[in-house]
Amino acid sequence: MSLLELKGVEVQFSGFRALRGFDLSVAAGELRCLIGPNGAGKTTALDVICGKAQVNGGDIIFAGQNISHFEEHRIARLGIGRKFQVPSVFRELTVKENLHVAFCRRAGVFANLGISAAKANADELEKLAELVGLKESFRREAGILSHGQTQWLEIAMLVAQDAQLLLLDEPTAGMTAAETRKTAELCKQLKGRHTMLVVEHDMGFIKEIGDVISVMHQGRLLAQGTVAEIESDPEVRKAYLGSGGIRGA
Amino acid sequence: MRRIFISRGHIIGYAAFALAILVVPLFIDDPYLLNKLARYLIFGILAAALALSWGYTGILNLGQAVSFGLGSYCMAMTLKLHTIPIQTGAAGLPDFMVWNNVKSLPWFWEPFHSTAFAVVAGVAFPVVVALLLGWFVFRARVTGVYVSIITLAMLVVVNLVIVDQQRFTGGFNGLTDLADLKLFGIDFDPYSGATYYLIALSLLATLMIGEFVVRSKTGLIMQAIRDDETRVRYFGYDVARYQIFAFCVSAGLSGFAGMLYAMVMAFASPTFLSVQISLSIVIWCAVGGRESLIGSALGAILVTGIQGGLSETPAFLNTWMLIMGALFVAVVLFLPKGLISIVQLGMARLAGKKISALAEDEAPLPRGHKLGIG
Ligand SMILES: Nc1ncnc2c1ncn2[C@@H]1O[C@H](COP(=O)(O)OP(=O)(O)OP(=O)(O)O)[C@@H](O)[C@H]1O
Ligand SMILES: [Mg+2]
Repeated sequence: MSLLELKGVEVQFSGFRALRGFDLSVAAGELRCLIGPNGAGKTTALDVICGKAQVNGGDIIFAGQNISHFEEHRIARLGIGRKFQVPSVFRELTVKENLHVAFCRRAGVFANLGISAAKANADELEKLAELVGLKESFRREAGILSHGQTQWLEIAMLVAQDAQLLLLDEPTAGMTAAETRKTAELCKQLKGRHTMLVVEHDMGFIKEIGDVISVMHQGRLLAQGTVAEIESDPEVRKAYLGSGGIRGA
Repeated sequence: MRRIFISRGHIIGYAAFALAILVVPLFIDDPYLLNKLARYLIFGILAAALALSWGYTGILNLGQAVSFGLGSYCMAMTLKLHTIPIQTGAAGLPDFMVWNNVKSLPWFWEPFHSTAFAVVAGVAFPVVVALLLGWFVFRARVTGVYVSIITLAMLVVVNLVIVDQQRFTGGFNGLTDLADLKLFGIDFDPYSGATYYLIALSLLATLMIGEFVVRSKTGLIMQAIRDDETRVRYFGYDVARYQIFAFCVSAGLSGFAGMLYAMVMAFASPTFLSVQISLSIVIWCAVGGRESLIGSALGAILVTGIQGGLSETPAFLNTWMLIMGALFVAVVLFLPKGLISIVQLGMARLAGKKISALAEDEAPLPRGHKLGIG
């Protein structure tokens, strides 16, 4: 049974149809890669799942519930975590504080009044920082982290959130080759424990981590299959024409 | 009970501050000066309250004088009803109502015969108003400068209503000639040490309540909201609730400050709900350090203290406003985290020397220091 299912999802931005009857189905425990040329609607697809973009048609089913019109925080509480294309962490808070905010076990104002910001769950949070190699920066402000470290922090925050489904938008964007490899390692570690939907451009990275790949084009699902199947698909080749082929995208 | 102090330096800072404001009356035998200092401490409460909403949550409330004013009127109403009726008719009506041909005490004045009711109302009423306004504003996801504009508009409206409803509020003059508050057998004469201590303890209590909030996870989430409001939602928090909470706590504390202010001034007037007061609070926080509760309170005491000193010194009679303006600009330009950042930096330096001793206290390094000095 699939954990996440999008059925004919439509999203419009002032008349422009960014998603045009988009279908997608992700099974529990799967690591799915989502690729497509620039402007294909990949980010919009993640946005609509986590409630950032409004659904104009179709349904989004998560764990048997129709979440199409839920508010963002309710979707998050159901177990969906999001990493944004532009890494977004709380720059004025320390790494530890960032992780603590993400570590959302009780969401209520008054429930959290009784929890110490400094003491609670400190060991667990430190382990998470260690997982992404940020132990040294644990008490530093997130604003001073490098680009790659910020990406890792955001991933660690999703793990802290303990989301069942992780939506990662270009987790290796702007990373050096070494950093990309480290990120691939990280994704492999998370695989199995979390269901993941990863938007990526880097084919090397996808080959390393991915099983099934879904290809988007102009707001639709164009093709789906293994790397080899996708690379030989004539439709996919056509979609990528002009953007330097699938490898260069 | 959770800890509310984050480091040894933090405790020392608070202890020094508490000691300072508590011993001051021992060295002052001028009741007018004591009364003035008490007023400055009340401004400290206001500034700490704004630090909660603005410094910690990013809500620049320009209508804080509404809470302050409503609190002061609640206190003034009960104190007015406790005056010995001199100019009143048989019904024991407040004098201004008699002048305005009001025949009987309006229904909403009745409960203010009870001091206890007034004290509760002085906090509860501003909180309810903040709750209603906050509900509409934050549910609708209004942010940034628009929140400031709406709160400012609210202030102007409430001020107009109070001035307009002269028959019930005393209009421009407000409520004057108030009795002293008598509680637990203590007469809180505005010029007495008792009143000063009540206010000093209130300020300390405010700071402790504030620290309790900001050192909790709720406080952490408030700071995350200040940093990036939308991001917080994707971790499962209902951002509006946190904003409303901060807004209401701030309003409640401001209402309490208003009650104390009506006591020390022995009147309440529409000037308490002025734009000028609202803007002054912003300046106090900016000067002291809006991301620090005690910093903001010190900012208020310092600025109003200097202001009072200068404006009463003949040599500065014409220039004191200029001096205050220059001070404000200098601090904002060179110390974006306010004067308290100098203290924090000093403490961090000291702590750095014996970091191992403080390790379990985990004194955080002061954030984002862009000091124009040293
Ligand atoms: N908020 C918005 N308002 C208007 N148009 C938008 C908005 N967000 C996205 N779009 C448009 O929707 C289309 C899909 O955008 P989207 O960001 O989902 O693409 P993408 O596949 O993530 O591309 P990239 O690889 O560049 O990240 C684009 O044409 C984009 O211009
Ligand atoms: Mg994108």
